[in-house]
Amino acid sequence: MRLLLVEDEHRLAENIAEALREAGFAVDHAADGPSGSHLAEQNVFDAVILDLMLPGKSGQQVLHDLRARKLHTPVLILTAQEGKESVVELLNKGADDYLAKPFDLGELIARVKALIRRSKGAATPILKISDVEVDTIQQTVRRRGHVIDLSPTEFRILEYLAHRPKMIVSKREMLEHLYDLGWEHHSNVIEAHVSNLRKKLNLVNTEPLIETLRQRGYRLRGEEV
Amino acid sequence: MRAAKHSITRRLIFSVLVLELLAGVALIGAVAVNEWRVQYKAFDANLRATSNALLGAVQEDLNDAVRLDWTEALPKDSVLRVTDEHGRVLGSEGNVPTLQVQPNTFQAATVNGRSYRFFTRAGEKIIDPDQSGGIRHRITIVYGLPDGHVRREVLEAIRFFVACTAILLGITSLLLGWLVRRLLNPIHTLANAASEITSTHWHFEPPSSASKFAELSPLTSALEKTIGRLHRAFEQQKRFTSDAAHELKTDLAIVKSSLQLLSMKTRTVAEYESGLAIGLDDLTRLERTVQKMLTLARLEQREGAGNQMCRIDEALRVAVEQALPLANLRSNSITISTLPPAIVPLDSGDATLLCSNIILNALQHSPEHGSVEITAMAQEQQMQLFIRDHGEGIKENEGLSLFEPFYRGDPSRSRKSGGTGLGLSICRAICDRVGGSISIANHADGGAIVTVTLPTSTDFESARTRDLFQALT
Repeated sequence: MRLLLVEDEHRLAENIAEALREAGFAVDHAADGPSGSHLAEQNVFDAVILDLMLPGKSGQQVLHDLRARKLHTPVLILTAQEGKESVVELLNKGADDYLAKPFDLGELIARVKALIRRSKGAATPILKISDVEVDTIQQTVRRRGHVIDLSPTEFRILEYLAHRPKMIVSKREMLEHLYDLGWEHHSNVIEAHVSNLRKKLNLVNTEPLIETLRQRGYRLRGEEV
Repeated sequence: MRAAKHSITRRLIFSVLVLELLAGVALIGAVAVNEWRVQYKAFDANLRATSNALLGAVQEDLNDAVRLDWTEALPKDSVLRVTDEHGRVLGSEGNVPTLQVQPNTFQAATVNGRSYRFFTRAGEKIIDPDQSGGIRHRITIVYGLPDGHVRREVLEAIRFFVACTAILLGITSLLLGWLVRRLLNPIHTLANAASEITSTHWHFEPPSSASKFAELSPLTSALEKTIGRLHRAFEQQKRFTSDAAHELKTDLAIVKSSLQLLSMKTRTVAEYESGLAIGLDDLTRLERTVQKMLTLARLEQREGAGNQMCRIDEALRVAVEQALPLANLRSNSITISTLPPAIVPLDSGDATLLCSNIILNALQHSPEHGSVEITAMAQEQQMQLFIRDHGEGIKENEGLSLFEPFYRGDPSRSRKSGGTGLGLSICRAICDRVGGSISIANHADGGAIVTVTLPTSTDFESARTRDLFQALT
C-alpha cells in the first residue's frame, strides 16, 4: 500500500514516514501544499495523511481540490488546531478521519490501515481468499492453517491483490501502489516478486492462487469466503 | 431599577415638580395680593359712593338745620351714622363703634363680632347759598359694611388657584414620568445593544436612536471604540493562545513520535543511541519554545521595570560575539560602524537578548556571504540602533505583523529556519517596557532594516549611572 504524507514539519514527517515504512507501507512525502496537492491528484495513493497548516496551500484547500476532482482516496487529517468545529467541517468536506497532534504513532498506523481496509470494502483486518488468510495487522499469511513466510514486498503484493479478488491488477498499478518515489520502477521487479510469492503459496494439493494474464496483469483466483 | 440606586428619572421629575410648585406658590401669592387689592378697591369705591350719596341726601330742615332725607334701601347689614358739626345725629343705622374720626379714610372695626370696614366722609352742606354765601353745615358720615365676604372671596380665589395648581402638578407628574422615560429610552436601547456583546458575539450596532441625540453620540462612540479595542485585544489573546498551543503541540508531536518510532521494534544499540540523541534534540526545541514564551510573558508584565541600568553598546558587543559562530557557519559578516556608549534603563540580560534577537533575525534572512550592518546614534534623551541585512526584505504591510507572536510571513519559514516566531515579539516587549520602540522596514538599497529607539538615562545622581559612566572613562 502506498501512502502520501503531506506535512511541512520536517522532523515530524521523518518520524511518521519512517514508522509507516516500518509498518510495511510505501510512503511519499510532500513538504508543502502545492506539491502535496499535485502528488495526491496522481491517484496512485491508497491513503493520504494531510497536515492542515501548510505553506503555499492549506490542507483544507488540498482536500477540497482532491474531492473536486472526484478522487476518493481516503484522507486522514493531522491537526494541531483547537476546536471541534473545524473537525466537523473537515469531515463534512470529505476528510475520512482525523488525529490531533500530538498523536500516537501506533494509533496513526492503525487508523490508516482501517481507512484503507474500509475503502477497499473489507470490514475486518483479516482478508480471506479461498483457503488463504491475510492478516493485515500481524502481516502474516496462512494457507490451510500453515503459516507462510513472506518478505515485506511479497506480503504487500498479496495484500494489495487480496483487496481486489477476481480483479485484474496491472503491473503498472502495482508499481504505483506498492512503491514510493524513492524506488526504481521496473516491472520485472514485480514479476520476480510475484513469481516468488506464487512458489511460496503453492502447497501440496492446492490450486495455484495467482493467475497471470498475459499483457494485462495478475488476478487472485478463488471465492472469497 | 433597584430602590437603593439613585434614579435620574425620579430626580428629574422631582426637580420639575418642585420648580412647578414654587412657581405655583408665587403665582398664588401674586394672585392673592392682586385679588385682595381689586376686591378692596371695589369695596372701598362702594363705601365711598354710598357715603357720597348719603351726603347728598342731607337736606335742609327747619331753622336752617339739616336732616337726612334717605328713602332708598341701603345694602344689607349697613352701619351708618350721619352727624352735623354739633354732633347731632341726623340719621343712623346699626351700631356704629367709636372711631377715631379722620375724614376720608377707611378703617376696620368690629360690629357685633363681625368684621366691618368703615369710611368716614366729611363734607359741607351749604343751605341757601344765594343769601350771603348761605349756611354751612359740616356733615360727618361714618358708613360701614361687613367686609367678611371680601376676605372670603379672596380666600375662594386662592383656594381655586391652589386646586388648579395641585391638579396641574398631578397631571404634570404623570406626563413627566411618561415623557422622561420615553426620552431616556435611547439610553436603555443603547445599554441593551451594548449588553449583547459577549466573548463570542462582538458585533455592536449602535441603535439609530442613539446616534440621533447629540448627548448620546459621545457615549455611543466611546462604547464603539472600547468594544473595538476589547475585541482586538481579545482576538490577539485568542490567537496567541491558539498559536502557542499549535506550536507546542507540534513540538510535542515530534518528541512523542521520535520516541514511539524508537519503541516500535527491537533495535540495535547504535540505533537506540542515535534515536535518543534525536529525541533529545527534539526536546531541546520544545524547551526553547517554552522558554521563549515564558520570557515574553515576563516582559509583558509591566511590573518590575525600572531601576535597571546598563550599557547598550556593551550589550550589543556581547550579542555580536554570541552570534558570530552562526554568522561564520554561513559565511556572513557582522560589522559595527559607529557605536557611541549609552546607558539605557534595561537589565543587561534583556538588552543583550534584544540585540541578539535582532541580529539572529537579520542573519536568518541574510543570503550566504551577506553582511549585517549595525549603526547607532545617540541623541539627547534617546539613542537609535539600526541593524540592516541584505536579505529579501519584508513584504508590504508586513511591518507590524512581524512583531506579533508566532507570525509567519511564509508559514514554512520560521520553523525551517529554527525560529520559534517569538524573537521579534520579545524585542518589542523589551522596547515597550521602557517606553522605546522597534520597527522594521525595507532599506532603499535592498534588505530589511530594523530601527530600535530607546530612552537613554542622563540621571547622573543615580549611583548606578555614575558607576557606569566612570567605567566609560
